[in-house]
Amino acid sequence: MKTIGKKLLLILLKLCLFAVAGLALLFVVYFFNLDMKLTAAMEPVLTWFYDNRVKRDQHL
Amino acid sequence: MKDENRIGTQNLGSLYTDGRVRSRREWRGVVDTAYDFSRWLHNWITMFRVVLVKPRNIKAMFRYRWMASYLAVPMMIDRHTQGLRNEHLRICHEEQDLIVEDVAKLLDKLFRGDRRIGNDKEFSSKVVLVDENEMQSIMMGFPTVVPLSREIASTYIPVLLNQRAALHYIDVAQEYGLAGDVCPMPEAEAGVSIDDDAPVLGCCAVQCNTTCDGSLMGNSVISKRLELEDGIPVFQLATPLRHREDDVQEYAAQEIRNAIAFIEEKTGEKWDWTHYFECAKRVNYATECRLNWLEMNRTDYPQVFGSNLALYTETNYMAISGRLKVFEDADRKISALAEKAFKKKRMAANEYRHRAIIWGVQSHYYMDFLVWLLNCWGIVPLTDMLSMVNTRMIADTDTPENREQAIYDIAWLTENMIMRNRTHGGYKVLLDELWEFVEEFNADMVILWEHMSCKALDGMHGMFEEKAREKGIHLVWVSHDLFDPRVISRQGVRDQINSYMRTVMNEEPVDPSLEILNDAESW
Repeated sequence: MKTIGKKLLLILLKLCLFAVAGLALLFVVYFFNLDMKLTAAMEPVLTWFYDNRVKRDQHL
Repeated sequence: MKDENRIGTQNLGSLYTDGRVRSRREWRGVVDTAYDFSRWLHNWITMFRVVLVKPRNIKAMFRYRWMASYLAVPMMIDRHTQGLRNEHLRICHEEQDLIVEDVAKLLDKLFRGDRRIGNDKEFSSKVVLVDENEMQSIMMGFPTVVPLSREIASTYIPVLLNQRAALHYIDVAQEYGLAGDVCPMPEAEAGVSIDDDAPVLGCCAVQCNTTCDGSLMGNSVISKRLELEDGIPVFQLATPLRHREDDVQEYAAQEIRNAIAFIEEKTGEKWDWTHYFECAKRVNYATECRLNWLEMNRTDYPQVFGSNLALYTETNYMAISGRLKVFEDADRKISALAEKAFKKKRMAANEYRHRAIIWGVQSHYYMDFLVWLLNCWGIVPLTDMLSMVNTRMIADTDTPENREQAIYDIAWLTENMIMRNRTHGGYKVLLDELWEFVEEFNADMVILWEHMSCKALDGMHGMFEEKAREKGIHLVWVSHDLFDPRVISRQGVRDQINSYMRTVMNEEPVDPSLEILNDAESW
């Protein structure tokens, strides 16, 4: 029982560490605006797609 | 009036770059930064949960040009929360995060029914398309019908997110011969339709003669495609413009009866009075909250003002119209936060120097201008024209008399849609009542948006100036072109305030780093 308890504690500890590391990483993304820098880089790709790959029935 | 204890609210201009986005997010102190971080995370989770996990929505991302603007959602929130701390930051997130979720759901529903994307025919058969500038009070008695606005998703929100979002559509409309000096909002909406970039869904549509001749022009282009090509019948809700006159009310009510009959016929659903009166109670609660916030803004410690008041009122009053309980819950939370902040005499910026009423139709590509006014020059935007809408309580208990009154109430709300209740209806609603508000709010300044393509307002230019001189009020004109920053840039907008404050008021900015910003390329 003790070994199982220890193992569970260890798994819990690891999960906590992962969660904290994940949150810290997300905070870096948040604070340095990395999400917006990435989406800004995606904009020209999408624009190219709209200009060249989408067929439209453009008329009045 | 000064507040010296605010953390990190100096040199906000240093966060700007020459490109699309800011260099980093604001440091607001440990508690407020942690709170803002948690809301940022919440919004990304909402966007993934509602939109991004569904393959059909990804398909739509690669089909519709306006979808690219939604890449900028978190930045829009950052723009509106700039410099905010404590309760003001929480009020802003309470509103903005709810709007993000509501718009995410709108996109998801549009693509679910869209013949090109999800093509869910059963769902589409219960969808009624509504105009962008249309009070959705007409839908308060249809709980099982889904009102969706394609224009809110394709033009209105994208320009809030990305100042250049509508340029392609304005150009397309003009390439097909539509006049260049018409309001760029309906012009862009028409451009989306011409460019074959609007989702196609719904069993019918209701268009409204909401704001102006430009709006009617845009609607005619859109309805032609809807009716003649997509096979979607359109009802034209012709609401009277002289909305303060008693003799137009019967006609307005009959238009509402006709619109309801049209929706019943096309959807096969019946008007539900129980649901209507439930929604009416929520409309009254929203009105009561708004009046309380405005009452607070008459004091030295305004709490729900600027873009916190403007954007939320537009959404809650016009697009929600009591139909969703979550907005009632948000009203309650915002009121509680505002009361708390009021008791603590909280300020939303480092310094308050002037109390201003913002009048006219605001620049859509620069909605966070109100935040800039506050942070850069200490000008407190107490209220704005688009937030000064209906103050009447509508009938909210189900009786035979109230069922008749309800039709008049819906008509009244439709006539008093944001913007149209001031830009139409005679000079009393546009001109005289402004000066009443100036006195009521103890304002020393009026910031008057001059939307260059809005003929309804441009004709009154001289009358505004004459009255401001007579009353000794500082009147600052701020020209813009609503959806088109190529005509007047954001810096062009700011320069008009900067020149007035330096030359007429002889003042230095509270935050000089915000005076000149190179944000022409920014979202």
